Amino acid sequence: MGIWDTRSRAGRQTPEPDTEIEVRNVTMEFRRAKDEATSIKELMVRILRRQHAYETFKALDDVSLSIKKGEVVGIVGTNGSGKSTLLKIISGALIPTRGQVLVDRSKVQLLTLGTGFDLELTGRENVYLNGAIIGYSKAFIDRKYSQIVRFAELEGFMEEKVRNYSSGMVSRLGFAIATIRDTPEILILDEVLSVGDLFFRKKSEARIKEMIHGGSTVLLVSHSTSVIRSNCSKAVWIEKGRLLTAGDPKDVCDAYEKKRKV
Amino acid sequence: MTASSQRKQHAFVIRQLTAREFKRKYTRSYLGVVWSVLNPLLSMAVLSLIFSQLFRRSIEHYPIYYLTGYILWQTFTGATTSAMTALVDNKMLLLKVKFPMELFVLTRAYTALINLAYSLVAYVVMLLVFQISPKWTMLLSPVVFLCLFLFSLGLSYLLSVAYVFFGDVKHLYTVVLTLWMYCSAIFYPVEQIQGFIRAVIETNPLYVYIHCLRKAVMLGTLPTYAEWLQMLLWAFGMLAAGTLLFRKSRNRIMQRI
Repeated sequence: MGIWDTRSRAGRQTPEPDTEIEVRNVTMEFRRAKDEATSIKELMVRILRRQHAYETFKALDDVSLSIKKGEVVGIVGTNGSGKSTLLKIISGALIPTRGQVLVDRSKVQLLTLGTGFDLELTGRENVYLNGAIIGYSKAFIDRKYSQIVRFAELEGFMEEKVRNYSSGMVSRLGFAIATIRDTPEILILDEVLSVGDLFFRKKSEARIKEMIHGGSTVLLVSHSTSVIRSNCSKAVWIEKGRLLTAGDPKDVCDAYEKKRKV
Repeated sequence: MTASSQRKQHAFVIRQLTAREFKRKYTRSYLGVVWSVLNPLLSMAVLSLIFSQLFRRSIEHYPIYYLTGYILWQTFTGATTSAMTALVDNKMLLLKVKFPMELFVLTRAYTALINLAYSLVAYVVMLLVFQISPKWTMLLSPVVFLCLFLFSLGLSYLLSVAYVFFGDVKHLYTVVLTLWMYCSAIFYPVEQIQGFIRAVIETNPLYVYIHCLRKAVMLGTLPTYAEWLQMLLWAFGMLAAGTLLFRKSRNRIMQRI
């Protein structure tokens, strides 16, 4: 299977023993036809007229980055700068056009919220569906079910359809399912903080902090520089696909904020 | 994760996703899954009302003749049309899951197969009602179902990839299905058609599956060697083509989605 190629490479050429993730000169190009053909008819017309011009769009441009075991790395950058493309490449969902990522994919866990719920199903059914999708076994969910419900504070609502939940209830349930697992060795967090009401937010932040400081290597994307300042040991600023600076979170966040105000 | 625990996890995912498909399908109906049984019966009643008269001389037990074709056809269209949109429908999930994305397509096709199992309840009842005598060749039917499933699955892979890149495929496929249905001899006797169209019908895999099942259930005869070959070639050929294209396009699908 193609996407696992990098894992076998990782075994042979891990450069330093304590490096967990090594991103080497990664470039990601998306080839898109100038206003891409979205229908067969359009495509035919284009081919016939030989108007098949492509433009390549670089989502990431020669990005190199090395993350050590146990580091908590925050990634900042404006929308569309390539942050989530980078996360997808590291987690193995995308294969880069050039360059490579050395990481043991079996350790990586991507944590995102609010996807994968089916509104027509009950809360209980969604716990099992969502859990199955993110890789929990049936036995694991059976064992953790009551703990999930308790954490999400949804006792008495689990047999109701998720359609009837408030948005706060949905995100609480999503958070509870996603974080019930034992902390993986490499944790990737894509905008998961600030969930639910004020009270739950404290609880979820506490859980995330517990995961972050539980010794795993963490990659975290957030719009909030204060989150990065208070949690990370290193920060990276990506803009228009290029890695601008990497280093102390305070310096990087200061530079980023200054740039944003201009 | 070891291979066996991974397989177990995949089976769990398929079960959960299939359960979702069923719950969604019947979410607002009182009868729920009973509809999977009722549908073929009602359709049979309607068609028999009109065509039994017309084909009285050429087809014995017209309702069974029709029903045999109908349940296979329904399974095929149910699988392919729902599987076609499987990747696009689940695009939010594709990026965060760890299991291969084939499973989404597989689940939709599998749902159609489960639906077939319900339709078979209706089918067996009708076999009793029309006093079709039990024959040992009926034991062949699971093989036909399996071939049909593999063929549908292969085509589902092709369609689901095509649909990621071109939304039109959906509309085009509806038209193709109409043509395909008329070329499958579901409600008329194939003997009444000659020439080129007859040749098309007889190479049509759907017709081959339907024809072999009819022979096994109604006449008690086995498929000929040529028919065996056709059934298996179509099933495994389509599956191979679908799997291959799917593997090759994986990265482009992720980029596009």
